[in-house]
Amino acid sequence: MKLNYYLKKYFSYYFIFSSFLLGGCSRINMRPMYGLNDALFQSSTSYREPSLGNKWIVSLVNYQGKDKIEMIDMNSRKRVPLPGLNRADSQPISVSLSANGERLALIRQRADQTELLIYRRRVGTLQRIELIPKGIPRRVSLDSSGKVLAVQVSREGKWDVEVIRLKG
Amino acid sequence: MRKVDRIQGQFQILNQHDPALSGNGETLALIVDYNGRPTLQLRDLRNGKIIPLRHLSRNQPHSSPSLSWNGRYIAVLAQPRNKRLVIIEDRLTGRSYQFPIPGERIPVRLSLSPDASQLALQIAEKGKWRIQLFDLSKKIERDMPRGARFSNNSSLED
Repeated sequence: MKLNYYLKKYFSYYFIFSSFLLGGCSRINMRPMYGLNDALFQSSTSYREPSLGNKWIVSLVNYQGKDKIEMIDMNSRKRVPLPGLNRADSQPISVSLSANGERLALIRQRADQTELLIYRRRVGTLQRIELIPKGIPRRVSLDSSGKVLAVQVSREGKWDVEVIRLKG
Repeated sequence: MRKVDRIQGQFQILNQHDPALSGNGETLALIVDYNGRPTLQLRDLRNGKIIPLRHLSRNQPHSSPSLSWNGRYIAVLAQPRNKRLVIIEDRLTGRSYQFPIPGERIPVRLSLSPDASQLALQIAEKGKWRIQLFDLSKKIERDMPRGARFSNNSSLED
């Protein structure tokens, strides 16, 4: 009886102490969405730099050794046309999508220039954003409205992060 | 060339990289190299202050942060004791969720959907980059913009 009492007491203290140590941390197994993954991505193709919107995903896709930006509507599982965005003379490095899928921020290498650009999907226009002071952009993130950008920039051998608010 | 306003931050001290904005544009997550340890940092862009994180001040090195709409959820890749994990901290409840990566896949980058219902993970597998989508909708609550509602096919309506 006495042993039972002490064992119960020991395990209650152990439980309370373990809960305190974990501090509201849960370990959960993630299961891939196999059906959707198989429908959206071809196994023979390389995909990287994903960016999710409300119902779209953009990524850099390598077709025959050349990277291009691809946007997929996850509801219809169809590729979304991006006229004027992918060019033969440029290589995309980073891409980010606004939540409503209307704007993309991208960094691309073109000749000896690394450019930061905003693409407006509805009108199919690309607009360049100048970094002042000059720097080399490497990675970009866009807010849901597509009007605030956070950019990783290299200046004098150091990485900085710059936040840019677009007018209009 | 577009005319822009630059938000002056106090982001000039250390090497910093991997920026990620919340959907509402008010919170910035980034990786700061503290003594060679890439560590997640969260900043309130309205006042420039660092926002403390309950669970994500350890398990370095961190990489590839991503934020939900209101910055309620912050997801990051972490590598404690050579184990690669996705960690999501819920700043509203103070809970954190650790998702071990299944199989022999090496996670490289991630993106959280604005409402935190899905996670896209770039992984290295058999010499290729792949993207896999994971459903989080049954594991964590959605983080929705103010005044928005969801239709039954998960698309967002204003």
